[in-house]
Amino acid sequence: MPLLSRLLTGFRALLRKERDERDLDEELRAFLEADVEQRMQSGMSRRDALRAARAHIGSIEAVKDHTRDAGWESRLDSVGRDVRYALRGLRRSPGFTAVAVLTLALGIGANSAVFSVVNGLLLRTLPVTAPERLAMISTQQSLNDGFGAGWNFAMWDQFHHRAQLFDGAIAWTYFPQQFDLADTGESDPADGLFVSGEFFSELGVSPLLGRTFLPEDDELGKEREHAAVISYGFWQRRFGGAPDAIGRQLMVNRAPVTIVGVTPPGFLGPEVGRAFELALPIGSAPVILNERTWAKPEGRSYLAVMLRLKPGQTRDGASALLRGMQHQIIDAAMPRNGIWGEVQDDMMKDPIVLTPASAGTSELRRQYSQPLLTVLAIAATVLLVACVNMANLLLARATSRQQELQVRLAIGASRWRILQQMLVESLLLSAMGASLGLGVAAWGGRTLVAQLSTWFDRIVLDVQLDWRVVAFTGGVAVATGVLFGMAPAITAFDLARHGGGRSPIGARSTDSRRAVALRGGLLVAQVALSLVLVVAAGLFVRTFQKLGEVPLGFDSDRVLVVRVNASRSTADSTIPSGSYVRLLDAARGVPGVAHAAVSLNTPVNRGVTFVTDFRGVGGRDLPLKERRSIVNLVTPGWFETYGAAITVGRPLQESDTKATAPIVVVNEAFAQKFFGGHSVVGEYIAPEIRGDFDRPQPLLIVGVVSNSVDQSLRYEAVPAVYQPVAQFTRPIPMAEFSLSLRAASGSPAALTRSVSAALTSADRHLAFSFHLLEDQVRGARNQERLVAWLSGFFGVLALLLAAIGLYGVTSYIVARRQMEIGIRLALGAQRADVVRVSVGQTAITTTIGVVVGLGAAAIVTRYLKTLLFGITPLDAATFVTAAVVLMAVALLTCYVPARRATRIDPMIALRSE
Amino acid sequence: MAPADKQSALVQGTLDMLILKTLALEPMHGYGIGVRLDQISRGIFQVNAGSLFPAFRRLERDGLIKAEWRTTDNNRRAKYYALTAAGRARLARATRDWETQAAAIARILRASPGEI
Repeated sequence: MPLLSRLLTGFRALLRKERDERDLDEELRAFLEADVEQRMQSGMSRRDALRAARAHIGSIEAVKDHTRDAGWESRLDSVGRDVRYALRGLRRSPGFTAVAVLTLALGIGANSAVFSVVNGLLLRTLPVTAPERLAMISTQQSLNDGFGAGWNFAMWDQFHHRAQLFDGAIAWTYFPQQFDLADTGESDPADGLFVSGEFFSELGVSPLLGRTFLPEDDELGKEREHAAVISYGFWQRRFGGAPDAIGRQLMVNRAPVTIVGVTPPGFLGPEVGRAFELALPIGSAPVILNERTWAKPEGRSYLAVMLRLKPGQTRDGASALLRGMQHQIIDAAMPRNGIWGEVQDDMMKDPIVLTPASAGTSELRRQYSQPLLTVLAIAATVLLVACVNMANLLLARATSRQQELQVRLAIGASRWRILQQMLVESLLLSAMGASLGLGVAAWGGRTLVAQLSTWFDRIVLDVQLDWRVVAFTGGVAVATGVLFGMAPAITAFDLARHGGGRSPIGARSTDSRRAVALRGGLLVAQVALSLVLVVAAGLFVRTFQKLGEVPLGFDSDRVLVVRVNASRSTADSTIPSGSYVRLLDAARGVPGVAHAAVSLNTPVNRGVTFVTDFRGVGGRDLPLKERRSIVNLVTPGWFETYGAAITVGRPLQESDTKATAPIVVVNEAFAQKFFGGHSVVGEYIAPEIRGDFDRPQPLLIVGVVSNSVDQSLRYEAVPAVYQPVAQFTRPIPMAEFSLSLRAASGSPAALTRSVSAALTSADRHLAFSFHLLEDQVRGARNQERLVAWLSGFFGVLALLLAAIGLYGVTSYIVARRQMEIGIRLALGAQRADVVRVSVGQTAITTTIGVVVGLGAAAIVTRYLKTLLFGITPLDAATFVTAAVVLMAVALLTCYVPARRATRIDPMIALRSE
Repeated sequence: MAPADKQSALVQGTLDMLILKTLALEPMHGYGIGVRLDQISRGIFQVNAGSLFPAFRRLERDGLIKAEWRTTDNNRRAKYYALTAAGRARLARATRDWETQAAAIARILRASPGEI
């Protein structure tokens, strides 16, 4: 009979229990009645016949009981009995139960915690209408580079005009990441988002309060009130959830905006990992950012553009549609004149591609996918070690329950019945572990996400335990339960059937050969897996260490970085105006400031790095793509502030002005690359600027500075050029720049209050924020810190589990061999011999495990290569240390029970049997 | 329980086969099956309700028989069981197996000392 229909009848039986009961009642009544009639026909009175029939059929209830048992659904009842039985058994050994449940809760919980983050980051779709029909507009080149494309306003305008070809189009940008809500002085940051007029309605995000944007909110260049939509979190934080928040005014970058609506709590924004607090229409950006080029072709390309496909429209079809219009779109957005010719050519050649966007976009996802999946694999391996531990514990238990099982088999329990009972017990344990584990997961997931945030990014990730996490946890629980329950169950059955036999000495039964082999195998597996984990942890911790040892090229502990935004300043903020000098003087006047310098950029600030192509006059002839160098515009005092060493020549000086010949300081990497390491002081370099600017003058190298870290700690030193701000002649606006201060002594954090006052009194329109260079350096190591921390935690956990496992097994062996040891001692064996014998067995197993583990680690670690820094995946020191640590832990843990063995009193040992 | 119950003497698993055989002749209700088994076995097998009903339930669940409420000859409602195609196939196989085994057992039991 097909399994399915059998299952169906079974389920139906379960569901329709009552009806079946009635059916059975009636059938039994008919049966009885037929019997009575039969008897009456042979001449009995009805009364006698009834009595005889009743006597014949026996207890009606017993018949019904037997009948009910016949179906498979009665199996469920027997499972229920097994659960009750297992619960009783577990209650009888609370120590074992506690260790088992805790081990599993940690193991399963760790997996669920990491999975909940993976789920939040990689799997969850955006909480919007029909997310599967969303697609990002990108280009082939930008995808190859690993980022999605950014579009400028003019391009977005073109896409927007073609929105009716699809089910709509929207755009947004997180630039400039933070809005400043302060009226004056130090910034009061809020995570900002510019969105197109149809953004919320198109996504299907309806307001919790008030309204979302209308297309007219987004019109460009109109004198009007600027509307703002705030997030639920911001509404709570800022207004305590007050309903009259709607209609209130906020200052955003010193411009007034009016709150028109609040979004529901589930919607955090289109990018996973970020949560916007305040959204403004893109049309308000030119005013809010005070950026007049916003809507022009030269406007910066930071808009993300998303399409909603029509039902039935494929992504490929829509891509082809857009590609067919690519020429028109680009031509309209970027009139072919002057310097745009080249840019336009590049864009025409780069085909538009649509990418699926049901899970939104995410910078965090790009950065953390691999580390997170690696950590998930590590957590899974820890769980495997925990499983092996459990299997060993249960194996020992099963052996001691041998007699009980033998009795059960003898009175007719089937093999399956015994297996079922053993599995029910292990599944019960894993279910208890999993339910505790969910608690661990909820806490662990949140903690993990909190660790992702840095000074730069406020990471908000929805890691709630949704159905995926619960299903994952359930799946893992069943898998672990079966995994660690199967081997002991089969062994138990084996033991019970063949009987351990009676050992020649004493009545205590011995382990079957199979159980011994299984236990040895499990120990080897456990040691090997633990070793792999310890090696991985070692590699990640060393990576983190190595990153900490990277010579920064500057002192990070004394420097305070002030990011200044002068876009609202009434003073001319273009570079040649020299308006920054006033601020520099104000900062230098603050007591406790030893050095101060203004610069376009600072190291590890996650900001935009400026690069220019150079040619060394009389230097090496480099291929076109190799001529790139970082350029930073700095004031004299920069090198002193950062404590960077000038190795040859001189630093920048106040006497380098517009009136004198343009000079630069280059770093060692630049000298090496452009001049092959010659003495470069006195040489000239020429910037190669494309487009129709004036040919800039060659620049005289006056000094060489030691290499320093730019943005990433992982890259080797890159060429860098430091130019005096005072000599920069191009009238580019310097709305944002950095003021770096070196504290004379103590923590630079102490300077913030007085510097804030000094800057505000110099120009009350400035907005600024303070960052410790130290924090920024730490932020640059965040991912590695997190992976090192997690893998280290799991490595220690694995070691602990291995120690528990080894301890347990050695104790067990010693206990089983109590009599043998007693006899040996009675016959004059030395205590040291007894220890050697007991430890020896474990030592052999551990050694095999270590060897297998080293081999496995050597194979596995190559997949970690891209996450490592400064060491190879086969780092000998790490491998050796891990092996030694594991051997030491193993020998220590089995020495304790072995010592105990020597204290056995031979008389007691012999009498106990 | 009636002392005359010979159910325990029934080789395990054979009750199902006997019920199938009984039903192969004609559809029948529970009591009728019991009586028929009694008659055909000439009183050797007296199967009581406690064994019959679980067997019906088991066979029905496995799809070997199907049940239907009908009216009996003397106008009473009774649950009639009938053989399904699967039941017929099972009966054929069980009969074949049984005959082979029974013949083998009989040979063994008849064996004289010289043969062993």
